[in-house]
Amino acid sequence: MTAHDPLWVTFLKALVLCVVLLGAFAYMTLVERKLLGRFQHRYGPNRVGPMGLLQPIADAIKSIFKEDITVSGADKFVFVLAPGISITFALVAFGAIPGGPAGSLFGLNPWVMDLDIGVLFILAATGMGVYGIFLGGWASNSKYSLLGSLRSTAQIISYELGLGLSVLAVIMVAGTLNLREIVELNIWSVSPWLWPGLLLAFATFLISGTAEVNRTPFDLPEAEQELVAGYMTEYSSLKWALYQMAEYVNMMTASAFISTLFLGGYKGPAFLDAVVPGISEWPIVWLVLKMAIFMFFFIWLKATLPRLRYDQLMRFGWLYLFEFALLSALVTGAVIAFVV
Amino acid sequence: MVAFIVLGALLLAAGVGVVTLRQPVHAALSLVGGILALAAMYVTLEAHFLAAIQVIVYAGAVMVLFLFVIMLLNVGSTPTRSLPWLKPVAWVTGLLAVAGVAAVVFMVQRPLPELEVVQAALRGGNADAIGESLFSDYLLAFHLVGVLLLVGILGAVALVQQAAPETRAVATRTATPDGEGAEPRPVLAGEES
Repeated sequence: MTAHDPLWVTFLKALVLCVVLLGAFAYMTLVERKLLGRFQHRYGPNRVGPMGLLQPIADAIKSIFKEDITVSGADKFVFVLAPGISITFALVAFGAIPGGPAGSLFGLNPWVMDLDIGVLFILAATGMGVYGIFLGGWASNSKYSLLGSLRSTAQIISYELGLGLSVLAVIMVAGTLNLREIVELNIWSVSPWLWPGLLLAFATFLISGTAEVNRTPFDLPEAEQELVAGYMTEYSSLKWALYQMAEYVNMMTASAFISTLFLGGYKGPAFLDAVVPGISEWPIVWLVLKMAIFMFFFIWLKATLPRLRYDQLMRFGWLYLFEFALLSALVTGAVIAFVV
Repeated sequence: MVAFIVLGALLLAAGVGVVTLRQPVHAALSLVGGILALAAMYVTLEAHFLAAIQVIVYAGAVMVLFLFVIMLLNVGSTPTRSLPWLKPVAWVTGLLAVAGVAAVVFMVQRPLPELEVVQAALRGGNADAIGESLFSDYLLAFHLVGVLLLVGILGAVALVQQAAPETRAVATRTATPDGEGAEPRPVLAGEES
């Protein structure tokens, strides 16, 4: 396949990716608050700097200098470990997302890892992220935290099934687990008979992806009326900020993952090539645009929908989402076996 | 080689942690660390698919459920009761296991397969290599394992149904919108103790 990068290039790219992701996290909080403000007929943050653009920096300074409290009954080691697990696996997962065709980024490959099992890698890394939530809630030694973390773990495990089954439809069509090959193949061009199954898979993937990153209407872990702040209740200062980072980085990974699987990832619309030759092959640009659409979608959902009740959440996950995801896999499999 | 030594040391340390740590959650976490180290070892052996599955299934699902049970039962670090015969039996079993492994390693002289043969069989550790042998050479075993899992699930459902008929009655009663808890709540299974 493609030549492997030397180790130091991979290392540098990983470093740059981490810095970019964390910078994007800081400004996503601003974008989210601005948008939520607009959705609710108010201004949102506009005091710090022009149009509130320095707000993330002010927030960062505030969280760094806040008192870092460790509850006296906490399991110290695990209490510190848990936010680290969350942010580590959130960042690691993004590394497998390809940003463009081989060698398109000034002669470099615009990805950190080109894995033959890219899809499974992302599922595994995001699956490990659940430990951060789970252990954080347990180590806090507080009822609210423990209940919040048990809830959110049960939620994430339940919705992982729907997620995996929706991915299965794409994998069956593409016949590969390599994300770059999935993008190059363009699953929609294989056959129009596959569209119903893939559309269903797209819908179930989008819903279970929203649940996986704990966003409204599935943000049960944070249900503040019942649980204060769920697993984050006892966390303050930098450790709390790490959880926030992990949540936003996970959101970005989910957006990039769904764009890569279903919407052609780093490829731009081909008809634009007639205007500017080669524009659809530009690295990073198209992926970021597609991610922006999904990030907006997540924020839009948050402004629109109320939170599900816990039993509704579980019933929806097991009785509807799981079945529809299974149906999408079955339909796609049947079409591949008998029609195409 | 360096990677193997580092990962092997990590794996051994995690294994020792599982049996020596008093707090069950710490022991389970140590096991998770061991699973991750093993997955990394698979990666160094170019068995990428196996590594991913190891993390997804064992670390991502099985161990989470283990921890779930430990946390729900709120198991502390002090044992609730001690069995006097446990320690000697554990020693004997452990020594027997070590002796068995040692016997296999040192007494059975078996030529190792050539590196090329192994690499050809792995085919880059991709999913298709495993899928092909799973659905051709080991098809019967694969189906039998599926049946075994099904039996396990059915058994678990049957056990739960038998143990908690009253709990289900409560669940259906409170589910009605105008229930409001007017009727006296039936005693839950195991609540009277």
